[in-house]
Amino acid sequence: MNTLDVGDLPPYDISSQSPLWWGQLCTAIIEGMMFAILIAAYLYVRLRMDVWPPPGDQYPHLLLPTLSLIALLISAPFSYLASEAAKRNDRAGMIRNLVLNLVFAAICFTLRILEWRSLNFNWQADAQGSYVWAFLGLHSFDFIADAIFTLVLLILILIGRYGEKQRLGVHVDSVIWYFLVAVWIPIYIVIYWGPHIFGSQ
Amino acid sequence: MNWSGKRIITCIAALGILLLAGCGGHQQSVIDPGGPLAGRTAGLWWFFFWLLTAIFIAVLALTLWTLTRRHRGIEQESLEVTHLPSEQTESKLTRVVAVATIATVVILFILLIGSVVAGKANADLGSRAKNAMVIDLTGNQWWWQVRYDNPDPRRIVTTANEIHIPIGRPVEIMGRSNDVIHSFWVPNLQGKRDLIPSRVTTNWIEADRPGTFRGQCAEFCGLQHAHMVLWVIAEPEDKFEAWLNAQLRPSVSPTDSVKQRGQQVFLNHECIFCHSIRGTTAAGQVAPDLTHFGSRRGIGANTLPNTFGNLGGWIVDPQRVKPGNHMATVPINAADLQPLLEYLESLK
Amino acid sequence: MNRMDKALTQPDVETGGVAALRHSWRHPGGIIGWFSYDTHQAIGMRYIVTAFIFLLVGGIEALLMRFQLAHPNSGFLSPDRYNEIFSTHGTTMMFLFAVPMMEGMGIYLVPLMLGTRNVAFPRLNAFGYWMYLGGCIFLYWGVFSNSAPDAGWFSYVPLAGPQFDFGKRVDSWCQMITFTEVSAMCVGAELIATIFKMRAPGMSLNRIPLFCWSMLVQSFMVISAMPAVMIASSYILVDRTSGTNFVNPAEGGDPLLYQHVFWFFGHPEVYIMFIPALGFVSAIVVAHSRRQIFGYPAMVLSMVATGFIAFGLWVHHMFATGLPQIAQAYFTAASLMIAITSGVQIFCWIATLWTGRIRMSTAMHFVFGFIAIFVLGGLTGVMLASVPLDLQVHDTFFVVAHFHYVIIGGSVFPLFGAFYHWFPKMTGRMMNEPLGKINFWVLFIGFNLTFFPMHILGLKGMTRRIYTYSPEMGWGTLNLLATWGACVIALGGVLFLVNFFWSRKAGKVAGNNPWDADSLEWAASSPPENYNFEHLPVATSRYPLWTPQEDFTVVTGLRNDRREVLVTTLMDAKPHHRYVLPGPSIWPLLAAIGVSVGFAGSVFNNWYIVWGSILTGLALIGWFWPRRPVEMLP
Repeated sequence: MNTLDVGDLPPYDISSQSPLWWGQLCTAIIEGMMFAILIAAYLYVRLRMDVWPPPGDQYPHLLLPTLSLIALLISAPFSYLASEAAKRNDRAGMIRNLVLNLVFAAICFTLRILEWRSLNFNWQADAQGSYVWAFLGLHSFDFIADAIFTLVLLILILIGRYGEKQRLGVHVDSVIWYFLVAVWIPIYIVIYWGPHIFGSQ
Repeated sequence: MNWSGKRIITCIAALGILLLAGCGGHQQSVIDPGGPLAGRTAGLWWFFFWLLTAIFIAVLALTLWTLTRRHRGIEQESLEVTHLPSEQTESKLTRVVAVATIATVVILFILLIGSVVAGKANADLGSRAKNAMVIDLTGNQWWWQVRYDNPDPRRIVTTANEIHIPIGRPVEIMGRSNDVIHSFWVPNLQGKRDLIPSRVTTNWIEADRPGTFRGQCAEFCGLQHAHMVLWVIAEPEDKFEAWLNAQLRPSVSPTDSVKQRGQQVFLNHECIFCHSIRGTTAAGQVAPDLTHFGSRRGIGANTLPNTFGNLGGWIVDPQRVKPGNHMATVPINAADLQPLLEYLESLK
Repeated sequence: MNRMDKALTQPDVETGGVAALRHSWRHPGGIIGWFSYDTHQAIGMRYIVTAFIFLLVGGIEALLMRFQLAHPNSGFLSPDRYNEIFSTHGTTMMFLFAVPMMEGMGIYLVPLMLGTRNVAFPRLNAFGYWMYLGGCIFLYWGVFSNSAPDAGWFSYVPLAGPQFDFGKRVDSWCQMITFTEVSAMCVGAELIATIFKMRAPGMSLNRIPLFCWSMLVQSFMVISAMPAVMIASSYILVDRTSGTNFVNPAEGGDPLLYQHVFWFFGHPEVYIMFIPALGFVSAIVVAHSRRQIFGYPAMVLSMVATGFIAFGLWVHHMFATGLPQIAQAYFTAASLMIAITSGVQIFCWIATLWTGRIRMSTAMHFVFGFIAIFVLGGLTGVMLASVPLDLQVHDTFFVVAHFHYVIIGGSVFPLFGAFYHWFPKMTGRMMNEPLGKINFWVLFIGFNLTFFPMHILGLKGMTRRIYTYSPEMGWGTLNLLATWGACVIALGGVLFLVNFFWSRKAGKVAGNNPWDADSLEWAASSPPENYNFEHLPVATSRYPLWTPQEDFTVVTGLRNDRREVLVTTLMDAKPHHRYVLPGPSIWPLLAAIGVSVGFAGSVFNNWYIVWGSILTGLALIGWFWPRRPVEMLP
């Protein structure tokens, strides 16, 4: 019997070679398909209606959502830098960048909530209302879940209770964050710019 | 397991008997066409059937034949060691599989062409039709509302659960639904078309021989989906015109005191909330129009044949006949029932 | 609590041999321990057993339907009860039997075939099973409390919407979908990660067993298609419970949109059930004809192509809705095209059988049965691809016959073959072969007696989902014949159970490789130890156990005192790094309970989404909270 000795391989790897990275990619595919189908369905509904937005629904404002998007975009590089710091095992770097990531995420979310309060239709109003709130609700749910994940990681690093698994977690968290940012862009365009582009006015 | 020729033939014979048990002229049959559209589809069916049956027998025979293969000598020995036959065998197999694959592609292509051509010919009936007729068919839980459209509003006919069409004329069915998705299907005449709320779907039917063709709702629509039957009666043009004119007339007035009493019973009970009889004050819109009920073949979307006895049972206890249907159980005195039945059956 | 910490302070060397391996991979004891199992054999077996139970339950529902339809105007079942039963039958078979069973077999077999010790995410695996079980309980709680679904297994709106379906019936359907789809997506993600990253060194992509390819394709299909059904079922659920208007025509929603979204999932779903079975067939054909598969690249490409094309067919379920002709022609062409990929596989199997040394075991009987039944079903599928033909036989018993031929022929017959083939590996004993062959014939004859007449019934105009029919239609004889056939199938099921239970106690002892088969699972003991292999194997060919013994290589250097596996590169499976898997944990069950509270409660009150999210969040924090010292070393 021949042997292949792997004893001097590292017991972990913080990169796209880790199985967990593939797990997150699959999560991104799942969520991405979900939003893609919802966008396709939204456009299908639009094509069936003569008046868009439906009568009574306000035309969406653009300022607050755009500021919120900008804050979200700014948060992304900090997630990347935190992931790089995790690879290097740079504790200060991880803390600094995770904090900044969360700060801009919080700004984005606050602006988002402010924008919600100005919408004059809810999910029961009509088909558009149901879809817009479905997008907002689902994306926000994922957003909050990942923000909490990031926060827990930050706490673990702050109290020193972390090892290579948690550093891998920071790297994988950044993958999720890129996805959340990337998937928001087409959703933002469809629900806020959509009525301007393909509305009936 | 020995696959003797006898066994195979027995199986095929059993299959054949099963098949024959089912064929032959029958109502509501896909392979007993009563018109050109269903005829073309039936022709396509037999083309597909014989070609694909031949393919099935070939594949099955090949598969079973592998059991009789015996290897001799060198090939067997090398197979035992390497688990692989010789290179020549593999390349021979590659050629055979490649040919089989190409044959599959060609056959599927032929089937595609055949199908698209037949489908297009059927769908084009409408554009070729010169003297087409339009019928509005609206599905309800669990009955069919029928309306013969006409530019002249005085010639619009409303009835239920039964359609008459002239032989040789294409008829356009404009399908709607008032509640859930139903499907209009008269197999002897044409494929089905769903009736979808908030949409209008169109379908063409045409009969080329006289007959009484049975149709049935073909999209699950709730409790009594099983009892939503439609008759399509194809008759010569003159008979059709006669029927249409009869339908245009207001309801027959009661000719004797019993029928008069029956009419009174009808008008004084809750029947008028749902049903209408033109020529009386009954103008309900949510149930079948009864103006010419006596001339129709069935009761309750043809759940029962239209006879005195059945009608009595239906009125007294509709929920027993067709549980869950939307007709209320209206209590009628025994003394009132017979006059009511006589009146309704007189509405020819 | 973790007594492994002592061993972990030693330097990184292979420690303790088999004894340490057995210790680090042992199951925890006690009741809490049982709920904490996370080895793939245990979880896989749980899926298989649970799914088999629901196969039997679905079968009983089918028998009830057949008793009702055996005679015209039968009063055995009321229309309401009949509608509930056919809806629950379809739902149970599709969501609680077929997909979970294939996943269970995949979870059990894939790590063994790849030469590793567990799936990539063991606790996610456990969580997925609890979610599946939650879905089963949730649906059947509904069934037994007068809330069985009654709008069919695909719940078309508006019939399934708030205006026409009352109570919680369709809600139980909708939310069961959410449970089972979450479960399926967990399994899909972990199998992809496992197949891509945890193969034996040397097992490059062109050397992985065809069953692993089939699970890989299926897993990608699962994660791509199942979001659609979650959306579709959520459309209905939220319209019903919260007054939204996704599919309400009055406010811009559209019943046809529901059908598009549903069938975008629905068509890939049937291939999700079918493709793993193709993997079974390949494994059995190779092992029992004792030759390498003919045309391995063609087989792989066919499966991948099937997976892709399956996403482009869905509208053939909607030909009767009045779509434009050009769309119909496209979907006809695509639906015909997928026959090519299946055909290629059939040809390759026949070529393998033709030149192999066939062993007519029970498993091989089921392969032959599969070919006969599935090919017939596939050919009726070709008929259904044609629009004019489909417009006649859509929604009739012809379609019922077609899909039972392709599902039972295409998935269930290979599954039974797989049971007979892998039972020795899973239990250490052989199943009784003579009884197995009788089992096959009873099932084969019963199946054809039941479903062949349905083709004819459909052509004679018998529509689907009708609780009764009148005598003058002439459908009575064939329906009675079909009911007798169903009884024969039931007998076949009983025979299988008899064989199963008898063989577990008294079957011939199997040894590691009773079939002299080729793939790595047959190198493990029967049944496998929790750690599968004492030393992980190195794969030097596509058929590792058919490689001469002198070449057999194993991996050394992995630690035995903790659950350590090897991660290899994607294409060529070169060793890349070692990977420590977590041990048993109760957190997956707790997280599943949290999610279940959210899902089940939200059918009644939307606030449960909040409570469920909080519970789940807490459980997830507990799940990922670092405990073992090794995790905290920088």
